[in-house]
Amino acid sequence: MPSPDRKRAVEPVTLTVVLTVVLALFFDFTNGFHDTANAMATPIATGALKPRVAVILAACLNLVGAFLSTEVAKTISGGIIHEDQLTPEAFPAIIFAGLVGAITWNMLTWLLGLPSSSSHALFGGLIGATLVGVGVYAIDFGVLLSKVVLPALVAPLTAGIIAFCATKVAYAVTRRYDGRPDGRSGFRWGQIVTSSLVALAHGTNDAQKTMGVITLAFIAVGWQQADHPEPMLWVILACALAIALGTYTGGWRIIRTLGKGLTDVKPAQGFSAETSTAATILASSAFGFALSTTQVASGSVIGSGLGRRGSRVQWSTVGRIVIGWLLTLPAAAIVGAIAAFFVVWWGLWGVLANAVLAAAIIAGVFRLSRRSRVHAGNALDTDTAPPAHRPDVSEVATSALAVKVPAAPHPTRRQREILLEKERLRMEAENLQIRAALAAERQERIKVELLALQEAEAREAEATARLDAERRAREADAERERVAKALKKAEKHAKRGKQ
Amino acid sequence: MSISVDWIAFLQVFAAAIVGAIVIVGCAALGLRLLVRAGRVPVVSPREFTDAITIVTAKEASRAAKAAAKAARKNPLTLAQKRVALVGAYACFTLCGLAVIGGIVIVLLHR
Repeated sequence: MPSPDRKRAVEPVTLTVVLTVVLALFFDFTNGFHDTANAMATPIATGALKPRVAVILAACLNLVGAFLSTEVAKTISGGIIHEDQLTPEAFPAIIFAGLVGAITWNMLTWLLGLPSSSSHALFGGLIGATLVGVGVYAIDFGVLLSKVVLPALVAPLTAGIIAFCATKVAYAVTRRYDGRPDGRSGFRWGQIVTSSLVALAHGTNDAQKTMGVITLAFIAVGWQQADHPEPMLWVILACALAIALGTYTGGWRIIRTLGKGLTDVKPAQGFSAETSTAATILASSAFGFALSTTQVASGSVIGSGLGRRGSRVQWSTVGRIVIGWLLTLPAAAIVGAIAAFFVVWWGLWGVLANAVLAAAIIAGVFRLSRRSRVHAGNALDTDTAPPAHRPDVSEVATSALAVKVPAAPHPTRRQREILLEKERLRMEAENLQIRAALAAERQERIKVELLALQEAEAREAEATARLDAERRAREADAERERVAKALKKAEKHAKRGKQ
Repeated sequence: MSISVDWIAFLQVFAAAIVGAIVIVGCAALGLRLLVRAGRVPVVSPREFTDAITIVTAKEASRAAKAAAKAARKNPLTLAQKRVALVGAYACFTLCGLAVIGGIVIVLLHR
């Protein structure tokens, strides 16, 4: 039986752990609230799914995904922090401070409309708080680098390359050169599967992070053994439900994104981007890499945009997104470190100060979300969105603006060859027409000349005949004269004979 | 303090993701191509929010449906060739589905 002193020592720790669990679950809820758009922005944009169906599907699959793999949770609970360096009295308070740091940074970026990542904010907050509260030696930088920092840098690039290749394949296989329907509209059916896969993958990665944090707190206070870092069943269930509830609650906001006409994603492109996102996150989850699903989905959307012909990168937009991504981890670490300073300086009072800060942030988020509440009734009313911040605009959808795709892209090599062949045939036909016209003209001219010749011949024959007739008339006249003379001469002879 | 990074794991993730994505997208695209060859051009119009979607409006969808019907009427293939194309299309879609299920099973086996 524990002594009264021991009991008094445990009570603040229990309180801190309970507060940590509650705050972690709230963080999970906001993660789901924010990230629904990652999974469902493209199928709704291309019309593959009705918004209500898409949101319910995403919530259910996030729930299932949370149970699918716990490798990421194990990375956080049993890899990043050296458990043997922690004191059970102090560390839950440090985790709590880290969570406050993450939520504060998320809130700030949400208010200012800056691109951010909930996952990186969580890691940043935890690392900053641990550095201040425990020390550098408490962090395993090898695991941090290989399972968090490098995947964070590499995964969006990987997803972009895969999406680029997949989009090229999708367009090349379905391209038709005879101008007949290509059937690409059918990719909308496929998007129902791929967007579901993204929601599932989101559950396998994002829900795990909170499970890992809660399990880490349990290990620190000795409620769970360090050599079994997998989360307990009730922790998995609670986190899965929190992320699913957040996903369902935040679903309506994405409709406004679409109402603003931010996205122009073709079905083949959306299908490729989502397949790439799901494949990257699922493969990473299996290896325990903790990724930012927002960044992976954004990388895929940019990559698939570049996979379309004639597309150009808007480097200013890409730069803004990447700076937001790079800033998140150190900025959240600083905020987490400040929160940890409260704990180091004031002990339990510091925890309570952090709890008050967290409560104020939660109340602020709730108030702001009520002010700009989006539901089935006003989802299409795009004019009522608050201009100061854009919580209703999906970062994934915004990242589509990083690539400009022309309405009429340049033709492919084969299309160019076909166009050249058509042009050659057209010119040949034109030449033939010209030659036919020339031949017809020449024929007409010959006909006219022939007629003229015939007329000339006729005139000549007529003239000849007239001359001939005149000659014959003259000859006849001459003969008549000759006969008349001969007659006169004969008469004269006859008269002389009579005489 | 030694920092070791498992670079092979990164390559494995990249290889698994690109193979999975290309197989799924390639099979789906080939399936659609064969479906079109079989004279069954899919025209899937958006269910809702047609004003927010710049890709296909209701008018464009109806025009696409008419073009698809016309293309199907003018299909020069014999009935047997069309059947082969249709079977090929369904085989591609099945392969696509199997690839998805296979991916999830691999993740489950990795636990």
